Amino acid sequence: MTVIAGIGFSAPWLLLALLALPILWIILRAVPPAPIRRRFPGVALLLGLSDEDTVTDRTPWWLLLLRILAVAAVIVGLAGPVLNPQRDAGGSGPLLILLDGTWAGATRWSDKQDLVAVQLAEAGRANRPVAILRLSDPEAPSFQAADAWQARIAGLRPMPYAPTETQIDSVLATFDAASGFDTHWISDGLDYAGRDRVRAALQAKGDLRVYQTGSAVIGLAPAVFEDGAVTLTARRSVPGAARDVVILAQGRDPAGIERTLATATATFDAGEREAQVALSLPSELRARVTRFEVQGQNSAGATSLADDSLRRREVALISGRDDREGLQLLSPLHYLNQALMPSAELLNGALIDLLPANPDAVVLADVATLSDAEAESLAAWVEEGGLLLRFAGPRLAASDISREDEDPLMPVRLRAGGRSVGGAMSWGEPKGLAPFAEGSPFYGLSIPEDVTVNAQVMAQPDPTLADRVIASLADGTPLVTRKALGQGQVVLFHVTANAEWSTLPLSGLFVEMLERLAVSSTAGAPTAVDLEGTTWEPVQVLDAYGALEDAGTRPGVAGPDLAEAPLGPDLAPGIYDSGDRRLARNVIGAETALTPASWPEDVPVEGLGTIGEKPLGGILLTLALAMLAADILASLALSGRLRGQRAATAAAILLALGLLPHPGQAQVVNDEAAALLATEELVLAHVITGDAQVDELAQAGLSGLGDVLRYRTSVEPGEPMAVNLETDELAFFPMLYWPVTPDQPIPSAEAYARLNTYLRSGGLIVFDTRDADVAGFGASSPNGRRLQQLAAPLDIPPLEPVPHDHVLTRTFYLLQDFPGRYAGRDVWVEAAPPDAEQVDGMPFRNLNDGVTPVIIGGNDWAGAWAVDASGRAMLPVGRGFAGERQRELANRFGVNLVMHVLTGNYKSDQVHVPALLDRLGQ
Amino acid sequence: MRPDSDLRQRSEIEASALPPLLARAEHLAGTVLLGDHGRRRAGLGDDFWQYRPAQIGDSRRLIDHRRSARGDMQFVREREWQIAQSVMMWVDQGASMRFTSDTSPKTALPEKIDRARLLGLATSVLLIRGGERVGLTGTSLPPRRGNMQIRRLAEFFTIDDDTDYAPPEHRAMIPHARAVFLSDFLGDMTEVRLALTKAADRGVRGVLLQVLDPSEEMFPFHGRTIFESVGGTMRHETLKAGDLRARYQERLAARKDELMGLCRATGWQFGTHHTGESAQSALLWLYRALDGGTS
Repeated sequence: MTVIAGIGFSAPWLLLALLALPILWIILRAVPPAPIRRRFPGVALLLGLSDEDTVTDRTPWWLLLLRILAVAAVIVGLAGPVLNPQRDAGGSGPLLILLDGTWAGATRWSDKQDLVAVQLAEAGRANRPVAILRLSDPEAPSFQAADAWQARIAGLRPMPYAPTETQIDSVLATFDAASGFDTHWISDGLDYAGRDRVRAALQAKGDLRVYQTGSAVIGLAPAVFEDGAVTLTARRSVPGAARDVVILAQGRDPAGIERTLATATATFDAGEREAQVALSLPSELRARVTRFEVQGQNSAGATSLADDSLRRREVALISGRDDREGLQLLSPLHYLNQALMPSAELLNGALIDLLPANPDAVVLADVATLSDAEAESLAAWVEEGGLLLRFAGPRLAASDISREDEDPLMPVRLRAGGRSVGGAMSWGEPKGLAPFAEGSPFYGLSIPEDVTVNAQVMAQPDPTLADRVIASLADGTPLVTRKALGQGQVVLFHVTANAEWSTLPLSGLFVEMLERLAVSSTAGAPTAVDLEGTTWEPVQVLDAYGALEDAGTRPGVAGPDLAEAPLGPDLAPGIYDSGDRRLARNVIGAETALTPASWPEDVPVEGLGTIGEKPLGGILLTLALAMLAADILASLALSGRLRGQRAATAAAILLALGLLPHPGQAQVVNDEAAALLATEELVLAHVITGDAQVDELAQAGLSGLGDVLRYRTSVEPGEPMAVNLETDELAFFPMLYWPVTPDQPIPSAEAYARLNTYLRSGGLIVFDTRDADVAGFGASSPNGRRLQQLAAPLDIPPLEPVPHDHVLTRTFYLLQDFPGRYAGRDVWVEAAPPDAEQVDGMPFRNLNDGVTPVIIGGNDWAGAWAVDASGRAMLPVGRGFAGERQRELANRFGVNLVMHVLTGNYKSDQVHVPALLDRLGQ
Repeated sequence: MRPDSDLRQRSEIEASALPPLLARAEHLAGTVLLGDHGRRRAGLGDDFWQYRPAQIGDSRRLIDHRRSARGDMQFVREREWQIAQSVMMWVDQGASMRFTSDTSPKTALPEKIDRARLLGLATSVLLIRGGERVGLTGTSLPPRRGNMQIRRLAEFFTIDDDTDYAPPEHRAMIPHARAVFLSDFLGDMTEVRLALTKAADRGVRGVLLQVLDPSEEMFPFHGRTIFESVGGTMRHETLKAGDLRARYQERLAARKDELMGLCRATGWQFGTHHTGESAQSALLWLYRALDGGTS
């Protein structure tokens, strides 16, 4: 690339064409503008007049200048000018662009993408094959043309972890296979294991150049809850000047909207790499915090997810013997208090008062009987997800609770009395605990030798017992049983909560068991030992930018791995779930230090700063086009063609270029026009089925019926309309004719809502399955089945075949049956009320008030009514005279139908006319 | 509606604004056609003038017996001496007349031929209403009276001539009649000169009205232009139309001077009318030119 005055040209020789501009000047000025033809009778007087100056009508200098500039812009534009051209870094042969691709680079990832783009452009100009490789997501490097990579830059994303050993091994293996290449390594600025090995391998292959930002990477260690305050620790990779970072506590507000609940400012002192701030939050607010993040840093490392460790569970402790004066160590709640005090909020009081506070767990220590109200509200609370933890004791052993029938608030039935082993008054040794079974929540906890059980309550053997045991003694008798109740669970320790019956409450195992049951939560991060034997499902995982996304189908993770294993493709940072416990795995652990990446002296390190190249060719060519457009106008104006109307036209064209027509307007107008059309006259309508032939026939049928009505009655309907159920307003039409075809689409839910409104507000739908020639009524025909599907969501009352005294039989004509093209089967209408009775002296019963909402039949009435444009019947009906008679009856049915729609049960009321006349006569 | 009926209607409207036009009847003798112009004296004519006592020398056949029978004296019935003027029109129907410089809807100018026909027919209407005989020069439509003649004239005025610059028709001129020539007179002058000389030889006097478009007067053109006659027979190309304006206007003035000189020599009257002006003023001028001296 040749650089002239700071602008690079990809085709500099083309600029020589600029030399031709002066010649162009001479040519252009010599050529007069094109002549105008003009009719002019006075030409007779002009004959013989010659121009005084043959080149007088020369192009004005400014127009010439405009044209010259336009041509110059084209020439320069085609020469490929580039602003801020990148100087060639030199080198040839294949180029590997290597990215760390870790969370540490996520905050400034777009800078790195720009840098990659610049280097790709440079390599493209040098015709170097390029490969791009992310260490955190390695693939075998494939050297391709730079252009092929340009489109993929946007797809390069960082990963929320540092490259693992296995990844680095695989990368090194691919390097071994490749021949020599140069490398540009875009580093995220953090050290990680194996980085030196990669560097050594790359230096062995060719030149290595490192691009790395000098600014510090900031991480946020997991929040720790200490002394009533949340302690937040921010770390940075490079010690530098004093700096404040703002830490945001994000969480959901009571309305469920994610917002910043609190902010704290941590200050890095000059030269320090760690900054701490204590954030004091009310426990309600603290429980809502989902994560902490450093403002302005959107990387997974600057985000610390909160889990149960921040959340203090509320535990209600209820004992049955609190009224007894006794030694403190004998109190059934003493050990529970001790065990839970550090990690949970303890509530004391009456059960009925505590339940409305919605504690996370309720502990009943040796409480045998509960009042009905207590039992009821406790059961309701458990069913909504509460954890009821019961301890046995003398009272429970002595009571009859859950003896014969299983109490809802007890996991098992109990035998009378219980047992005591190894005591002074019994045989045998005190029993130890059996190892926890695999399905048990306690699986993986180690059992101290000194835990022994002297007495316990015994579970009745039941079919369900085996499923409910989660811990047992060495001899197999259940020690802890559990059952699910609604969304919650009931757990029974078959021993006391104090040391009377066993040494369990004295041991550390007791606390761990309570933790596993999620009665309490650990303070601080759990260790691998704590999580031995558990499996954790990912719920949400962090991406490198610190955003939570759904975990999808990621596999579960073993507890120790979750606690200790390094993050990698198989272990993403995020929120993990096991039963009722919830654990967060953060990128920065409590001990993780941020070590800056350091490079040996012989590796050149550059910053990330790039000034993007800006090709100017497009701008110049556009400018040239604009100038030529201006030249057109100017030429027209000069030659006198741009005057008056033409100028107005030109201005209108220019304006029209900027103004696009607005399509929405026309639709409104159309809607209004259709509404006017539908309401100016009575309009019969049919539903569009999508079958063109059926729709056409329905249209013709309704128009034929309209003719009949016009000839015979005072109803004069307008041109029938086709109705699209999805879009058209139905309220304008007194009745809808709906021919049923087996493959017409089911209308949408909205359309059904409007159809139901239509039916309730007095509309009538005539369903015509058009198959009475072949099928009876029911689901036997495809049309009938479709009708059932179509009509299922409709609000249709009970139906019956038209009774002989239905008003439809006499609204205009007296009819016995209602044939169409087929004189098939029954026609169904809304059923008469069951109490309709025929009064003496009346020819018919007083049936429904109002219009039946549906009429269902299959006689293909539209086919019988249909006439073409000249008024002739379109389809044959029956044979000969009998057929014509049937068509006449079909027409009469149509008349009766429309009359029924329009007049309702007016004809039924006519039976009262004699009585009314009689009364008037008096 | 036939095209001529529209022209007729508009002509009637123009003519209705003026009193009946009386052509000046100067030359009585030799006029073979009798007209309605009462000379306020007894003479040849159809209308009753007066009864006078029969004098010696009156032929007995002249005695009006109905009047004479009332008394003892014998009366002779005298008729008014009447003479009708013949007016011959020539309206240029050539292609050069079918021109207008402005066709935009609001400020549209009529074509020259349209204005010329309107003026010609309006004048005819006035003359016929005044009892004159009006016809066309040449043999196609000799002078006659009556409303039918107006209609015939209107029909003849709808016939377009494709000749570019139509020469004036000067055949079959009735001696001592009057003539009206309506044209733009932009064509060859020899024909006009010939026609006027010939008319002057026969004692025909009349009016030349030059109908011009404003653009023909102003020459508002610029730039490289090819000027074409309406019929397409003539063309002139110029690179700088603006420069020609002065010389064109000189030539046009010279043409007008020539026409005026010709008229002065032959006793005709010359006027110029632009289609941008109202037709009424032109009709008024024609009226005065034809009526000159009689009132």
